[in-house]
Amino acid sequence: MGLVRYTTSRVLQAIPVLLGVVTITFVLANAIPGDPVQIMLGPSPSQTQIEAIRARYGLNEPLWVRYVNYVAALLTGDLGQSIYYDVPVTQKILERLPATLLLMLSSYTFAILTAIPLGVISAKRRNKLTDHVSRIVSLIGVSTPSFWIGLMMILIFAFHTNLLPSTNLVMPWADPAGIRGAETRLDVLVMAGQHLLLPMVSLGTLQMAAITRIERSEMLDVLTEEYVKLARAYGVAEQTILRKHAFRNAQLPVITIIGLQLSSAIGGAVLTEVVFEINGMGRLIVDSIARQDYPLIMGTTIVFAFVFVVGVIVTDLSYAYVDPRVSYGEAE
Amino acid sequence: MTDPLLSVENLQTYFFTEDGVVQAVDGISFDVMPGELVGLVGESGAGKSVASTSILRLVEDPGRIVGGRVEFKGETLFEIETDDEGTPVENEDATPVETDESLSQQEMRRRIRGREIAIIFQDPMESLNPVYTVGGQLREFIEINRDLGKSAAKTAAIDMLREVGIPEAPARYSDYPHQFSGGMRQRVLIAMALACEPSLIIADEPTTALDVTVEGQILDLVADLQEKYGTAFVWVTHDMGVVAEICDRVNVMYLGEMVEQADVDDLFYDTKHPYTEALLESIPRPDRTVEELNPIAGVMPEAIDPPRGCRFHTRCPDAREACTRIDPDCRVVEDGYSPHRAACIKYDAFGNVGYDASPPLDNETRSGVDVTLTGDGGHQGGDDDE
Ligand code: SF4
Repeated sequence: MGLVRYTTSRVLQAIPVLLGVVTITFVLANAIPGDPVQIMLGPSPSQTQIEAIRARYGLNEPLWVRYVNYVAALLTGDLGQSIYYDVPVTQKILERLPATLLLMLSSYTFAILTAIPLGVISAKRRNKLTDHVSRIVSLIGVSTPSFWIGLMMILIFAFHTNLLPSTNLVMPWADPAGIRGAETRLDVLVMAGQHLLLPMVSLGTLQMAAITRIERSEMLDVLTEEYVKLARAYGVAEQTILRKHAFRNAQLPVITIIGLQLSSAIGGAVLTEVVFEINGMGRLIVDSIARQDYPLIMGTTIVFAFVFVVGVIVTDLSYAYVDPRVSYGEAE
Repeated sequence: MTDPLLSVENLQTYFFTEDGVVQAVDGISFDVMPGELVGLVGESGAGKSVASTSILRLVEDPGRIVGGRVEFKGETLFEIETDDEGTPVENEDATPVETDESLSQQEMRRRIRGREIAIIFQDPMESLNPVYTVGGQLREFIEINRDLGKSAAKTAAIDMLREVGIPEAPARYSDYPHQFSGGMRQRVLIAMALACEPSLIIADEPTTALDVTVEGQILDLVADLQEKYGTAFVWVTHDMGVVAEICDRVNVMYLGEMVEQADVDDLFYDTKHPYTEALLESIPRPDRTVEELNPIAGVMPEAIDPPRGCRFHTRCPDAREACTRIDPDCRVVEDGYSPHRAACIKYDAFGNVGYDASPPLDNETRSGVDVTLTGDGGHQGGDDDE
């Protein structure tokens, strides 16, 4: 019962947050100096041309009317028309979003799947060789920028050895007919995997390192808890203690860190897409800023904010799932 | 006479810290008869908790059992090898060597922990895992230690929850620890211990964290269940009042050593050791006002650098010069209901070691201890775990 109510309340709480994001984005976009119409029309356009364009994009209305219109349109999924591409912003985003989500999800999966076992093993073999190695690796990982890792990997694996592709990401769901060198679905999947490997590792390393560190220290912490000692005193095997009695409790701060890493993952995704020439949201936002394509800037920002808020909700829900005290509103 | 259920001989557990070796338990011996409730008493830091974790061989780093032997139901749980003079034998790494009869950690886990000897910890708030249901935790321990299947273990768990006085036991089974009060959690922990059907339960200050009313209820409950199941208990406490209420025999520890062992009546009415006397003086009693309480003078010295001679001489009102030279063992000083042992050289059992002839110690000659008035010692001297 607690969990359902908790979920509903967390989702409802997200609404004002999103509205806030929309408002700030709108205000900021309109506060930036520079006139998009001028950029579109080039130097010295005629007054009628300018008027026509302004009317077409609704730019001649007062600010608050445009704000209300914008929010109203947003509710129907309409993010306006891209000035540069001259297609609906929503369409452009839907085109680009999958690549970014794929990149972020795969790097997260990579980070979580490697970091959690690494952290646990590190804690279990505290101060042994495995622990030292994993601690050094994670220290390097948290202190190295993801784009640098990306560039180095391109140099090593793509440029010098030609082992892995570094550009032209193949989406796993792409039609085999449209991909050169692919005949079956399996070919496409393999190619997608090869293409994803470098960007995934370069974006995921930071998360992996951060999660490993917290996992290790939390496990060490939990292993000194009274309930762990009690389990030992009742003859529970050390493996079970690690896997069951200590593990779940140690995940709470880990989940928090995973959630917090989302913002750096979004930032990292932008850089990674640039480095690996992936046509995703990151490059879209960079390009639209360069072109002062306001509707597109606003649209991409809002979508990123939305992804972030969804991530935070998922974090909170997993927290509540792991710790029963949260959904009962009695967390200590 | 029946054989003891548990027999601890000359147990030594040291902690090898950066500041030096802490002699947390330094050569204690005691027995527990089947079905008996034995008290293990002393101030915080006396080594009671270390002694109880040593019996289960669950001493954590940097602690190590460095000497002695523990026997349970005639089987050696562990024994540290000694040479002809009785000094523990060490291997190249300066680790004490266990004899071949000693059980391995694996055997301890499979056959002894929980199954034969269960433990109840001091803090009911910390002893239950917050992310699992109370029933699930109980069931897990029952499954492991009684070889029952899931559903049989669940039934046993619910029965036991009912037995320890938890209302609506079947519903509470699926509740989480945070939904229980401190007293109720302690009942759960008692249920855990009893449900594994061990022959011995070590209760490590299980009522310290509870208020007096709840403490009283828990003590009554334990007394009832003890009678019903015939389980032996080692009751670790610093509270002489609790001892008087439930124990059959009492062992008093001071600074890692045993100072007095006696039947509970002998201990209260024919106290031998000056330390026990001081402990008894410090219990609040209805017939005395707070002003008349007589707390033990001085702070318990650190077990890292215990006083020479009798370890209590820095605080003992009867201390004489000879006490700084002679470290008395705990020997029979009177017969009593059971042999009454005390470690104090003022008794004849120690022969003429010069106690009577030597001059009393005045405060200045006691080795550098602040003499202040203190209560039960719970506020200084660190934890038992140290
Ligand atoms: S031996 Fe001496 S110091 Fe120790 S308890 Fe007896 S009288 Fe006190």
